[in-house]
Amino acid sequence: MGRDPDHPPAVVCTGLAKTFEDGTEAVRPVDLTVGAGQTIALVGPSGCGKSTLLRMVAGLEAPSAGRVAIAGRPPAETLRRAGLAVAFQDPSLLPWRTVRGNVRLALRLARRPMDDADIDHLLALVGLAGFEETRPAALSGGMRQRAAIARALSTRPGLLLLDEPFGAVDDLTRRQLARDLPRLWEARGTTTLLVTHSVSEAVRLSDRVIVLSPRPARVVAEIAIGLPRPRTEAIGESAQAAALTRQIFAALSDGMASPATAGPAS
Amino acid sequence: MTPQGSRFGPWIGGLLLLAGWELADRLLSDAFVLAGPVAVARFLMDEGALMGRALAVTLGNAAVGFVIGNLAALALAGVAVVWPRSERVVTGLALLVFCLPLVATGPILRVLFGPGPGPQITLAALAVYYTTLIPLLVGLRAVPDTWVELVRSTGRGRLAVLVHVRAMAALPALCAGLQIAAPAAFLGAMVGEFTGAERGMGVLTIRAMRALDVPMTWSLATVATAVAVLAYLALGALARRVLRAPPPVILAAPSVRSKQGAAWRDVALVAALALGGWAAVIGLGGLNPFFAKGPGDVVTALVFAPDAPETRATLGAALAETAVFLLPGYAAGLAAGAGLAVLLVLLPGVAGTVLPLAIALRSVPIVTTAPLVVLLLGRGALGTIVLVAVMVFFPTLVACLHGLRQTPGQVLDVFDSFAAGPVTRLIRLRIPAMWPAFFAAARMAVPASVLAVTVVEWLATGSGMGRLMALSASLSDYDMLWSCVVVVSVLAALGYALVGAVERRVLAVYAPEQQT
Ligand SMILES: Nc1ncnc2c1ncn2[C@@H]1O[C@H](COP(=O)(O)OP(=O)(O)OP(=O)(O)O)[C@@H](O)[C@H]1O
Ligand SMILES: [Mg+2]
Repeated sequence: MGRDPDHPPAVVCTGLAKTFEDGTEAVRPVDLTVGAGQTIALVGPSGCGKSTLLRMVAGLEAPSAGRVAIAGRPPAETLRRAGLAVAFQDPSLLPWRTVRGNVRLALRLARRPMDDADIDHLLALVGLAGFEETRPAALSGGMRQRAAIARALSTRPGLLLLDEPFGAVDDLTRRQLARDLPRLWEARGTTTLLVTHSVSEAVRLSDRVIVLSPRPARVVAEIAIGLPRPRTEAIGESAQAAALTRQIFAALSDGMASPATAGPAS
Repeated sequence: MTPQGSRFGPWIGGLLLLAGWELADRLLSDAFVLAGPVAVARFLMDEGALMGRALAVTLGNAAVGFVIGNLAALALAGVAVVWPRSERVVTGLALLVFCLPLVATGPILRVLFGPGPGPQITLAALAVYYTTLIPLLVGLRAVPDTWVELVRSTGRGRLAVLVHVRAMAALPALCAGLQIAAPAAFLGAMVGEFTGAERGMGVLTIRAMRALDVPMTWSLATVATAVAVLAYLALGALARRVLRAPPPVILAAPSVRSKQGAAWRDVALVAALALGGWAAVIGLGGLNPFFAKGPGDVVTALVFAPDAPETRATLGAALAETAVFLLPGYAAGLAAGAGLAVLLVLLPGVAGTVLPLAIALRSVPIVTTAPLVVLLLGRGALGTIVLVAVMVFFPTLVACLHGLRQTPGQVLDVFDSFAAGPVTRLIRLRIPAMWPAFFAAARMAVPASVLAVTVVEWLATGSGMGRLMALSASLSDYDMLWSCVVVVSVLAALGYALVGAVERRVLAVYAPEQQT
């Protein structure tokens, strides 16, 4: 994988905007850069347009204006090479496949070699050891989400797009995932765009936090997270992290106080 | 998802049925209309070879028709999924073809194919493809957007979505459709044999009726019933192995609604394609114009010909005669099915016993038991109405029972927390939850009841459209025969659309979530 000079790729969004056919303006023109191998967190109020933004970066949603460049090329090209992976907000596991079967399908669709030992290692990493042969219906909501994360990681994508990946996971497991997963994508060299509702998680995981306004989303603030890596629990709980968290919360409420000129229609 | 009856429920129900049947035979032994299980068993022992040969022929034809019809359904569903805009046109044309009156298409196919199994196989295929197509389409479409996006996010396109997601997601619906199709194929093959085949169960049925051979008539009906139930159960077992779960009870085809384009445009397109296809087959097929009539011939016969007024009057009279049997039977079947379902839900222990039995009996080719109804109730109006009602009754009962059981447990808990009694729950909660299933059954019952009424009229009562079609066929009055085909199928399709329109009105009030 490392032979590809564009691995991991940088992502550049310029003037990216989305208005749906029904007139809902979800994203105001947004400029956004994710450096190669960086982790960027998107935070913003519920319904502000984070998922829409992520889906445009993934090439799953056509922007109404602006463009996305992944390693300088349109997302469709990265898609075609299976160079990115998305962990959707909804785990969307196929119910007729086991946990391992769901991961295998992703590998097959992405035309990647299949190695069950690899798969099981990933599943163990997200705490699903012993559930490889379980069908999604028999998993809890948080377990399903973790299976979906493992599936996204399995294809070793250069660009990882995570939409609220820990939404239904308990706090303790969240902390553990927030510790283990970055190690993996650091080791592999992965560019990561992460949507999260948890400000402290954004601080814990990312190199930079982008704060979005209520719908239509626009960038209110970009806050660099200069914490050293690896991010241990101690660093996450340090005074510096607490200050950054406060700064992000302040930016969030600024965004709330000065919404875009178009009144929120929701 | 499946009715969880007690394990012995169906067996007890079946035994009760047998006992009642034998008892009725003993009580009515002077009337010479009924042969009980013992008499049927004796007949089957004596005439086993004859019945076995006939059964093998019919089963063979049914199997070939089953395969062809279902392959056609798969192909049509593929077209509709790959090219979504075509879906309403595909389903509209499919419905129109499904509404073709077998009583008239049978003889036409007989002339076309000559002797041999052609008509039997074609009718078997025609009997199954629609009931497979519609659940299949619904299954293929009922896929969450995120599953589609998941495949797209790995860089793959619509074909991969179809293969890895849609096809798998549609499997339960497909299995349920095939389960209904198996007995339907048997029925189609038998009706095909009524049209002058040399061998098969249908031929024996006609012979038994002509000879008023009571044990033979009952034995044939028993064998047909057993085959239908066994086919249903066998496919159910197969489906359970494939799906690792029992297939869903497909009540009837859910109403297919797509939002794209204006409805009238699709209706016009369906009509144009149907007429064009028909004219093309007649024109390009090199068929003998004596029996192969095109759209122009039918219009001439009904409008321009010197005897057009008489033709119309004959048709009108026959239609009116048929409507007198059809409408009460249809209404009675719906009312009885829905009513019994509601009663059964108030007696939950009983519902568990009745539902599996009703599901099995739903697959009985009622039409093949037409001779029994005639034996029991005579050739008058009552027999025909009862037959139509029975044909409508079982699918409606199954659908409504299923619908009534669909009430979500959480909502029931909410009602319980308000201390609502069983009747309140029934009226406020369960009956509204039943409407979608009821209407799905009511729609599918339209072509089914048309089939039932015309077959009985043809085979037994000698009245109405069934007789007119049979008579036109035997008198080689092909203008009249083709006119009957057109009028009956258009009316049946309109009836189906009418029920669909009522359905939309009612569901808009009771089940707005069903409206997409
Ligand atoms: N297909 C669509 N058509 C019309 N409007 C849409 C569509 N998809 C999303 N929206 C609207 O766009 C807005 C942003 O949606 P989006 O899913 O991006 O929000 P989000 O920031 O991810 O919210 P959450 O944090 O709750 O997941 C919402 O108001 C939503 O209603
Ligand atoms: Mg979202």
